[in-house]
Amino acid sequence: MLKISDLTARVAGKEILTGVNLTVNAGEVHAIMGPNGSGKSTLAQVLAGREDYEVTRGSVTFEGHDLLAMRAEERARAGLFLGFQYPVEIPGVNNVYLLKAALNAKRKAAGEPEVDAYEFLALIRQKMKFMQMSESFLTRGVNEGFSGGEKKRNEVLQMLVLEPKLAILDETDSGLDIDALKVVSTGVNSLRDPARAVVLVTHYQRLLDYVIPDQVHVLSGGRIVKSGDKSLAHELERRGYDWVMGAQVA
Amino acid sequence: MSAALRSFETQWRTRAPDALQPIREAAMERFLKLGLPSLRDETWRYTDLRALAGQSYREAGCETPGAATPGTTTSGTSVSLVNAEQHAATLSMINGCPVLSADLTAINGIEINSIRELYNQNPSSLRRFFDSASDADQRRWVLLNTALFIDGLYLKITEPVSTPIVIRHVSTGDGAQSAHPRIIIDVKPGASAIIIEHHLSEGDITPLNNSNTHIALGKAAQLEHYRVYATGPGATHLDALDIEQSQDSSCRQFTIALGGGLVRSSLEARLSQPGASLDSYSLLVGHQDRHVDCVNIVTHAAPNTRSRQTARAIAGDVSRVIFNSKVIVNAGANNSDSKQSCRGLLLSPNAEIDTRPQLEIHADEVKCAHGATTGRLDPDMLFYLLSRGLDRETAQSLLVYAFLADVLTGMSVSSARAAIENALISQLPDSQTLRKFR
Repeated sequence: MLKISDLTARVAGKEILTGVNLTVNAGEVHAIMGPNGSGKSTLAQVLAGREDYEVTRGSVTFEGHDLLAMRAEERARAGLFLGFQYPVEIPGVNNVYLLKAALNAKRKAAGEPEVDAYEFLALIRQKMKFMQMSESFLTRGVNEGFSGGEKKRNEVLQMLVLEPKLAILDETDSGLDIDALKVVSTGVNSLRDPARAVVLVTHYQRLLDYVIPDQVHVLSGGRIVKSGDKSLAHELERRGYDWVMGAQVA
Repeated sequence: MSAALRSFETQWRTRAPDALQPIREAAMERFLKLGLPSLRDETWRYTDLRALAGQSYREAGCETPGAATPGTTTSGTSVSLVNAEQHAATLSMINGCPVLSADLTAINGIEINSIRELYNQNPSSLRRFFDSASDADQRRWVLLNTALFIDGLYLKITEPVSTPIVIRHVSTGDGAQSAHPRIIIDVKPGASAIIIEHHLSEGDITPLNNSNTHIALGKAAQLEHYRVYATGPGATHLDALDIEQSQDSSCRQFTIALGGGLVRSSLEARLSQPGASLDSYSLLVGHQDRHVDCVNIVTHAAPNTRSRQTARAIAGDVSRVIFNSKVIVNAGANNSDSKQSCRGLLLSPNAEIDTRPQLEIHADEVKCAHGATTGRLDPDMLFYLLSRGLDRETAQSLLVYAFLADVLTGMSVSSARAAIENALISQLPDSQTLRKFR
């Protein structure tokens, strides 16, 4: 589904990704872990198509297509979803309006008819219930005045409505209390499917107790320095990132 | 002496005296002595009136049959801002001359009079609305209005009136003509009203409108007031609004600039007694080569007064938008609470927005906040929308629309809001897309 080869990227003239190699197959859940500043969020943003992040080398294919040649909106319509670490507040743009426009953009690209307003509201209410979100969400601006936890729930809600093929969740677990973490995890797990893949970018192993990954990678200094199965996450939790980075030096 | 000043003096000399003569004389004398404001004057530093000064203006005539009937205007707004069934009355001011008809006197809670007639009968009831000639540069054109206004409307609101009252100011005629519309809105204690002033021009003319509206709110009175500038691109509009607020009164004021070539809009509010509260909203749209200069001066003259100023400026093409706001807290006006928020959005590399929030505080216990930002569309917001699959045009338009929402959502008259939104959207890029968000 996703194949990243020797990817390097710069942000504001500074090289952040220094040669990332990663293959994610349909049906898999991958976790990318790593210390602060290792390039995790940059990788997520580059994959979603942020333009001010400059790709300097390497290639990324998504379902066989050259992802880097696609604009952010094209990537989204092709089935890639980024759950933001810091979802931006957009006062004046209604949550429901955005979701509907997003879903219709995707359907239009797939040659499907636009969703009917009634049908859409029913869908969104059902997903909101699943994510345990309050009704007031319907009338509010995008993330406007949301707490950190509400913003993350909203990201997962959007993901559930858009049903992406590949979801990249950037620290969706950070800032959540244990109840919210469970709700978010249930949301992510509900999307697990042989035809889909999920990439969890996370700093802590905590989320991985609820969403069990097939593979765990450690990103450090802008590239993946270690990969393993879920036990790697536990080992990292026990021994700290210095262990991996130290091993690298040795 | 500039050509404009000479022409105003000529208009003054040929005018027949009326009961207001002493007040008018003092104002004209002051105006001629001070001259037109220039870039050296504090509140005029962004607006160059030299082109105006070089023009000769003749008095716009009152006799223009048919002008009051709805027709096409050059402004792009629909002629009527409010649906017929949704308002109590429509009053017309043609070239600054009130069109009075008998049936307007029959509305419960509103008394409508000619300022001149009322002044003839009972000068003391109106004298407080004609301040002594002031040298303040933001009041320069008010002096000329006082000297030259032909007549005006005095609206006395004596009870709560829930349906809007519309005042249509229409400029009609041809060539360089000047008019000086004058409105007084006197909301008595406990009364309330919604008043919409809509400025339009008919045909392809280059009028100078020098209007003044004076609002007085009695104890616990409430007013929602709109002034919508929607004249054609050749029009110069100088508009001054004075607001005086008594105890526990509240005023919500909307200034909407979406027409005219040169617009200068001032608001001077005085919160004279405890509990007075003002919410001022300004929506300033720079389009083509329009120049919009907005000056707000709010004085907290009593303790426990509250003011909010929310301004949104959008500038496209080669337009320029200026928003200057000043909050003055007088000595002793403790527990004054004020906020100034101004956001500017540049839609073109050749447009300019200048904002200057100022505070002048002479009391100890106050809560005053101000903020001003100007920029292009927020790249984080844009990326967020794109990452959800919205196309670029839709995402950009949606953010422009969202930018205006703070002001639009405050409007209680839904049909006026819809008409304003519609006119505004037609001046923004991608208006087809924007219409879908409504």
